[in-house]
Amino acid sequence: MRLARMGSFHQTRLSFMRTLLRRLKREQWRFKRNRWEIDAQGFGRAVYTVYGPERAYSLVAFSHDLPDHLRSDRVIATAWDTTFALYDGIPDTADLDRLEQNVPKQEAGRISDSEISLSRANRSVRLWQHVVESLAAGEQPNREQLESVGYLVRTTAVYGSGKFGAADRLTIAERPEVSGPFQAELLSVWLTRAFAIDLVEHIAAARGGDEAVVLDPDLRRHIGVGNSTGLGMAPFLINHPALLNNWMMAREEAFARVRALQNAEAGAIAVFKHEYERARDNVVHWHSQHPIQIEKLAALRADFEQMDAYIAGHTLADDHPWDRFYRWAEDRLTLEGQEQLLSLMVEPYGALVDDLTQCMDADEHLSFFIDGAMPLARLREILESRCQWALEVDYDEPANRARFWYTSAEKLEPRVGERFDEPGAEYELPLAVGYDIKRLYTALIAVSQDISTAEFLLAHPEHRHTTRRVQNLASHPYAEIQDNLIAADMLPIDILRCKLSFFGATKFDPRSDRWVRICMYQDAPFPHEWLQLEP
Amino acid sequence: MSYRLTLVEAESYLRKAARACGLDWGIAEEAGKAARWLAAFDLPGPEIMLAHLQQLPAGEYRQCVPDCSKEPWQAPGGLLCPVITGAALADRSSQMLGGHCFRLAATAYPLLLAATVGQAARCHRTVFTTAWAGVRVSCFENGLSIEGNRDDLLLERVDNITCQQDELSEPQQLPATRSYAIDYDLFKAIDQLAFQTYAPATEESRAGAGAGLNDND
Repeated sequence: MRLARMGSFHQTRLSFMRTLLRRLKREQWRFKRNRWEIDAQGFGRAVYTVYGPERAYSLVAFSHDLPDHLRSDRVIATAWDTTFALYDGIPDTADLDRLEQNVPKQEAGRISDSEISLSRANRSVRLWQHVVESLAAGEQPNREQLESVGYLVRTTAVYGSGKFGAADRLTIAERPEVSGPFQAELLSVWLTRAFAIDLVEHIAAARGGDEAVVLDPDLRRHIGVGNSTGLGMAPFLINHPALLNNWMMAREEAFARVRALQNAEAGAIAVFKHEYERARDNVVHWHSQHPIQIEKLAALRADFEQMDAYIAGHTLADDHPWDRFYRWAEDRLTLEGQEQLLSLMVEPYGALVDDLTQCMDADEHLSFFIDGAMPLARLREILESRCQWALEVDYDEPANRARFWYTSAEKLEPRVGERFDEPGAEYELPLAVGYDIKRLYTALIAVSQDISTAEFLLAHPEHRHTTRRVQNLASHPYAEIQDNLIAADMLPIDILRCKLSFFGATKFDPRSDRWVRICMYQDAPFPHEWLQLEP
Repeated sequence: MSYRLTLVEAESYLRKAARACGLDWGIAEEAGKAARWLAAFDLPGPEIMLAHLQQLPAGEYRQCVPDCSKEPWQAPGGLLCPVITGAALADRSSQMLGGHCFRLAATAYPLLLAATVGQAARCHRTVFTTAWAGVRVSCFENGLSIEGNRDDLLLERVDNITCQQDELSEPQQLPATRSYAIDYDLFKAIDQLAFQTYAPATEESRAGAGAGLNDND
């Protein structure tokens, strides 16, 4: 649970995009473009509907004429190339008209409980023009360029769970198809991918007339959806400890099950080697301009060379092959390489691990409850046994509390400030978990240990939110990021990467220490490919 | 004019509003949960939480904290805060499971107290009943029953409250709404309080918020 490792996570077969696509395939969902009211310039609206066994969901898409100077990924943007809502069911014209008044405004508009998510995306300037021009001229776009960007549009926010008027999470909590983490939001992104490709082909056709061609199916599959994410995503993992615990538990359990296997069948080894080659190929096309990631990618490429040699020299068949491989990796590879290997090791074992995806949700209400009857001495035991990572830090050292998290009044987005250089620390959010744990511990050891937690909290309400978290740790060992979230050298991108890897993102490309670009659904199947491809 | 608040918004706004009014984060979290819980039953939790927060004595937290050493519990300042007191009762819910009935003296907005204690009902899978004036409010694991005079539900202040475990089998009501209609002016008042927890923008904060490289690609 250290940030350096969490910031090296890769997607696995437990990742939420893959869980979603496996379900859609298993249940044979149908897919239909129900409306296409897009003009020759590519502006207008469209509706894509997926039909599941019990319910349908529709992506309502709007495409806008956006001047280049207004295109920004930042949350402070007020206009986008495309905007979307995921509608619960099939919208009629009145719904579309209502959404057209609000969805393009995003945060400044208001949607209703008929909608499950709200999102927007900007075109990739470097790829969009190239693809339109190529297709209009009757040619396929350059494969190398397409693979290295990986997307035509890049989402900059996907809001769900009751935000801006959307349906509350409870609305979908009892629906198996979307009750898992972020399933509805990721369904909307998957449909966004289909819309972006249709849009680029539509514009090329309008421009090129009879000469225009559509994308070659093989190239088409290399196009995913980008995402550009800033700090807004980071507090989520800190604010949802029970959820984080369950995500991590599922991951750890999957790795443990595979490492416990005494032998590997030939079929499993073949799947591993196939996925290994894909991952190797992915690293070739994975680029970043950020010094931290450039270094990590160079190390990952070197890790692959070492793994090549290991694979060449071992059969991977017997004597706990995966455990031995990982133990070897722990001693020799960087965290990037170790995490890459873990994610590849579980690839052949869907039958063994996929059931764990059902444990990745959480009843957060239960972890909200404080056991006031708990003797203070027991609370102290939990602190001392589970929180050494927080207690061992000297917070009197300025570098160890150099930062503070706050919400900006300007755009209501979370930000990180420099405590000793900037104003605003009085607005600090309760996200300095390690520091707060140490403050709780200091207050706790100063009073009689014979009292109850309830009595302690009545006198010390300032420690209530931290007490909740610490009690939770007794039953949720992976609930906390075990690192100092306000240290001078803390990298918010590590938190972002951890969360995005659980989503199933690839090609992490930090743009600063608090901003990352990724790719989603690249190489994933399209609806008509369900039967041929494994999600 | 009314405004539709989703339940997650009701919780988030009231949590921040409570924080802005000087409550510690942990207590503010309880305020958000209680407001949300009431709103789900179409009861004016957000509105009375706002009214309560507006009358909280600024910086005088200790004045409305219960003295739990003797019953009935009472506040040094004369009026118990229903959120702080409700949290203290929830923390002692195991005593109610053992049959203890808590008694409270003068308390503001008892419905907020019932909702705050009620959060513990789900965790214990039981029923906690809070009674005042002519009304009894029973919080179930996922439901609510109200008996007696509904006019007493929204009283601003009562002088006697009891709170204990109950043995009712079925709630009268399940959560009724996930989109709560609130008067727009009251929503704006809540929003303004919540806004006080946000830091005014500075050049430093703007500089640190975005990508270090060009946004576009």
